[in-house]
Amino acid sequence: MNTPILETRHLTKRFPGVIALNDVCFNLMEGEIHALCGENGAGKSTLIKLLSGIHRHGSYEGELLVKGKVVAFRNIRDAERSGISVITQEFALVDELSIAENIFLGREPLRHGRIDWLTMHERARGLLSDFGLDLSSETPVKDLGVGHKQLVEIVRAMDKKSRVLVLDEPTAALSDQEVGVLLDHLRRLRAAGTTCVYISHKLEEVFAISDRITILRDGSSITTLDTKGTSIPIVIKHMVGREISDLFPRKPSLGIGRVLLSVRDLTCTIGSCDKPLLNDISFELHEGEVLGLGGLMGAGRTELLMHLFGAWGERLTGKVRLGGKPYDYPTPPTSIRSGLVLASEDRRRYGLTIDQSIGFNLSLSSIHSFTHWGKISAASEYLRNQQLFEQLRVKAPGQTSIVGGLSGGNQQKVVLGKALMTGPSVVMLDEPTRGIDVGAKLEVYELINALTAEGKAVILVSSELPELMGMSDRILMLCEGRIGGEFVRGEFTQEALLAAAMGRKQTSSVAA
Amino acid sequence: MKSKFAVKTLILPIALIAICTFFTIQEPVFLGARNLTQLFIEFSMIATLALGVFMVILTGNIDLSVGSGVGLIGGIAAVLVFDQGWSAPLAMLTALGVAVLLWTLMGTLIVKQRIPSFIITLGGLLVFKGLFWLVIHNSTVPVARGDEDNLYSSLTTYYLPSVAGLILAGLVSIGLATMAFNSRRARRSHHLPLESATLSTARWAGITAAVFTVVIICNNFRGVPLSLLILSGTAAVVYFLTRHTPFGRYLYAIGGNEEAAILSGINVHRVLIGAFSLVGVAVALTGFMTTAYSGAATTTVGDLMELDAIAACVIGGTALKGGRGSVWGVLIGALIMTALLNGMTLLAVAPEMKFIARGTVLALAVWMDVRFGNK
Repeated sequence: MNTPILETRHLTKRFPGVIALNDVCFNLMEGEIHALCGENGAGKSTLIKLLSGIHRHGSYEGELLVKGKVVAFRNIRDAERSGISVITQEFALVDELSIAENIFLGREPLRHGRIDWLTMHERARGLLSDFGLDLSSETPVKDLGVGHKQLVEIVRAMDKKSRVLVLDEPTAALSDQEVGVLLDHLRRLRAAGTTCVYISHKLEEVFAISDRITILRDGSSITTLDTKGTSIPIVIKHMVGREISDLFPRKPSLGIGRVLLSVRDLTCTIGSCDKPLLNDISFELHEGEVLGLGGLMGAGRTELLMHLFGAWGERLTGKVRLGGKPYDYPTPPTSIRSGLVLASEDRRRYGLTIDQSIGFNLSLSSIHSFTHWGKISAASEYLRNQQLFEQLRVKAPGQTSIVGGLSGGNQQKVVLGKALMTGPSVVMLDEPTRGIDVGAKLEVYELINALTAEGKAVILVSSELPELMGMSDRILMLCEGRIGGEFVRGEFTQEALLAAAMGRKQTSSVAA
Repeated sequence: MKSKFAVKTLILPIALIAICTFFTIQEPVFLGARNLTQLFIEFSMIATLALGVFMVILTGNIDLSVGSGVGLIGGIAAVLVFDQGWSAPLAMLTALGVAVLLWTLMGTLIVKQRIPSFIITLGGLLVFKGLFWLVIHNSTVPVARGDEDNLYSSLTTYYLPSVAGLILAGLVSIGLATMAFNSRRARRSHHLPLESATLSTARWAGITAAVFTVVIICNNFRGVPLSLLILSGTAAVVYFLTRHTPFGRYLYAIGGNEEAAILSGINVHRVLIGAFSLVGVAVALTGFMTTAYSGAATTTVGDLMELDAIAACVIGGTALKGGRGSVWGVLIGALIMTALLNGMTLLAVAPEMKFIARGTVLALAVWMDVRFGNK
């Protein structure tokens, strides 16, 4: 038997408080396309960072072998020298430079210390035509579509004499046609002897292209399967593989009340991308209800919340009603005034003023309620802050402590407290338990129960299926900006939810 | 932690004392009543401008145009008084209106067109300089006709009578005591934590002593200068705005984390435009004082004052990336800048050396902000 071109032995990578990879063994045979599958947070990205030298040798336990020899990558360059190139979701291309300049960035052909433009373009043209790409080497990268950018990255990696190409979600932003082109190119590379690691949430693609599949779950390598001898349901079963424990104390409300929020046929674009990121979204949210919102990374969960809140996106079609009244022109201030609040997933970026005190952050959205004749009443602000500080059991010396010094769980409580102080009727929680410990998670769940018991409605976004299933009364799975399936409590199974997230309708479970 | 905090709060007064000691040894006149009164007037101008710029820096923006603005606005008022024969109050009110309009316009451009404040105000620096020279026809325009005094010219030549100065100091002292007392009583009635009574009393006593010292020094010359009262008023307003109003709270929030501020429901655009409009007011006040101080609008009025103002803010602990700073810090920073400039003038330091010293202090202050800013 051949020695694997790349092999990992018992890789373990720890972050403070978390084991991201646990004893991962995985091998890559020369000339194969090897798919890596796993849920969000299963450890795929961490594994890639180890393979590509981003997490340097010494920061992990276990061994990494190239052609049977142990290697110690200190950085990306070391990995590239061993023939391993990674193509990530965020392109490492300079938009303003031409295709040729990008391909040779950092390795420009020189002549007497000057860039040899003629040689550079000649070689670039050769590479592009080898790839069957009908592009001018002088075209600026910013004029290319996403699919072509992806291919330029691959061309660049091939010119670096890469023997192993790691593709992280290469088709996330591609159209079906572009996906076909990309897969054809990969097959051609395989025929020429290049080895690929292919990471994708789209299992159809995985089955169309790969020779073998390795499944990661919770940081461990579960199994490696021959693609020919397995099927999509088996892969999903391995990806999920977990039992729901009693960690989720959801107390379903006794009666679901009137509709608080209704969304009809919502389609919108976000940012500069013209392609709608949300398509035909319709749902209703009732008093006392927890609506779970699931989906894979990039499915549009955060975008949906941000759009309803009025922070992101431009609406193409759709009607939204909040508390029975039309609410079609949201802005963050009007949303908060109308009782619609959002606690963002990225606490440091969107949630907190990190250098300020707990009290400053708690009251930031509610200051007007403490202001009389233009002056903030320090006493009433302090009292209200103190009330939430104690109610949420924020662990800190006092409300004057700086937020930046708190643990993740306590920071999260401050973010929630800021939203709750405004007296909302609809609370949107984006990954409220990300990166916080079990105890703090439980407190967040109890808070959700308390909110719905008061007749408020909660939209809960979570990447963790067990949490979503444990805490929701109803679940919407988003898939590439559309609703991939709707499930009511009792119909929840991890397999069905995950299938809906990946756009595979399982007719038995999909409610109409 | 605690000792580091002590060093950080004490370093500015220590620097100030060191600077004053140095100049006094070189030239004892530095501490004389006449020179100190002079210094207070110069301080009023730099500090008023710095307090305006302070609010913009708090949001993480910058304003480089205030120096040119000082010349332009002072020049407009001077032209209206001297060439057009308007009454001084009307001329100043009109110029103030122009200032607020210009700065509101710049703020709107920055916010709505998403042009960095650095660029817009750098453009403003040049445009206002050009407008200024156009307005005064590259000549010297006095702030009053003939030898008569008007409100404009008295801005830096009027001094409170000794008794009035002392009475005012007394009133300030009583006012501060009453406010501190009321605040304590309110907090106690709500069962809120109180700082120790000794600390409150000591702070009050310190401020009272400082106020009386300044008044007595000024009285030894001609009395408390009017410009110092303008600064005191400005400082009180900016203090109230930044500490006790939602507007001020939002300045800190925007500078600390603009994205979080937006998602907290703050109307970031309105707050930023408001901050720039207020800079317009500070520019106008400083413009009137500075022009009056030099007696006339001349092409050099306001030159490089934007740098002195920014330096005052940064020396006083205002973070250039926004979100951190205080009125007290800005005042001490401005005092340090003024003492340096005044002392060097007194020692007849060559202008080329003054430029070098000013630049070094600015670079040093920013370096300290970067080096120790977030520790």
